[in-house]
Amino acid sequence: MEEFDNNEIGRLLRLKRYEQPPPGYFENFLHEFHRRQRDELLRQPLWKIALGRAQDFMMSLNVARIASYPVAVTAVLLCAAVISLKIYQTTPAPNVARLSPIVPAQQTTEGGWSLAAPVSTRITVSQPRTHLSTHRTTTPPRYVLDSMPVSYESSLRF
Amino acid sequence: MDQLRTDEDQQLVARTQDGNAGAFDQLVVKYTPRLYGLVYNMTSNHEDTNDLLQDIFSKAYKSIRGFRGKSSFYTWIHSIAVNMTLNFLKKRGRRFHLSLDDVDASVQNDKEFLEVTQTSSPVREADLSELQRRLNEAMMKLSDEHRAVVTMFHIQGMPHAEISKILNVSEGTVRSRLFYANRQLQNYLDEFRKNPVT
Repeated sequence: MEEFDNNEIGRLLRLKRYEQPPPGYFENFLHEFHRRQRDELLRQPLWKIALGRAQDFMMSLNVARIASYPVAVTAVLLCAAVISLKIYQTTPAPNVARLSPIVPAQQTTEGGWSLAAPVSTRITVSQPRTHLSTHRTTTPPRYVLDSMPVSYESSLRF
Repeated sequence: MDQLRTDEDQQLVARTQDGNAGAFDQLVVKYTPRLYGLVYNMTSNHEDTNDLLQDIFSKAYKSIRGFRGKSSFYTWIHSIAVNMTLNFLKKRGRRFHLSLDDVDASVQNDKEFLEVTQTSSPVREADLSELQRRLNEAMMKLSDEHRAVVTMFHIQGMPHAEISKILNVSEGTVRSRLFYANRQLQNYLDEFRKNPVT
């Protein structure tokens, strides 16, 4: 009994080329393609259509090439601005919000300074903590300058 | 001939990328019959083929701006078609029915048809519609990947190199898939030879 060999299978399969869609199918295919494209477009939200149109418009203008110079100039200016800001921010910090010394001057002189003794230990020994907290009430921190500019002084006095 | 085809396609692609929708229409008209054969023989269903073909050209139109010409348009559009069809077949699974196109009457005059019907006794004994049914059943027994290779090689007459580019696999893989698929088809059609009326 003969068997199907590769050539025969190939020949049989090539006959499948003769399986064809109904007449006129290929002629109508493009028309159907356009119809589906239109339907798909109408189903899209308005913003998506607008975005697509804008993209197409930009592509037609070749925006990448046109915009390259302004973008480069803007980038350089931005870099320069950032660098200059960094430079001016390194000026000395203003002399404000300084606290009075925590420990009164007379007490530090009483105990005498010693490099061996830690400062915190000495403070704890010589001053109770309650006193540390209350000194703020006696000498409140000052956040304002001593002198007020003339322009800030009220001209009208009642 | 291939060079001429490629040049013509490149021009149409460039015009489409410039916004000329008519140029893409020409590509659609040119490639519809060929891609129809590819998708139809992978799905064995006319309605599915029609829907898939619409989706394939729609996707190609949306993606054509990104087409840089690293491969020919022919390879590119065939890759889209094969990948989309394979994805569709994975989703469809085993739930499908055959919806076959009619065999064109001109097959009776085909030299190969005459040769096959004269030399092979089971084919000689079967009528044309039975033969078509058997062939399609045999094809549908193959895995999707094997059917794709058989379709491109045996039915569409593509060389191994072109198939490997479309599937993005080596030529060795294409040959091995073809060898395995041929053996499966042989086994199935031999059953037909032994029991031609079942």
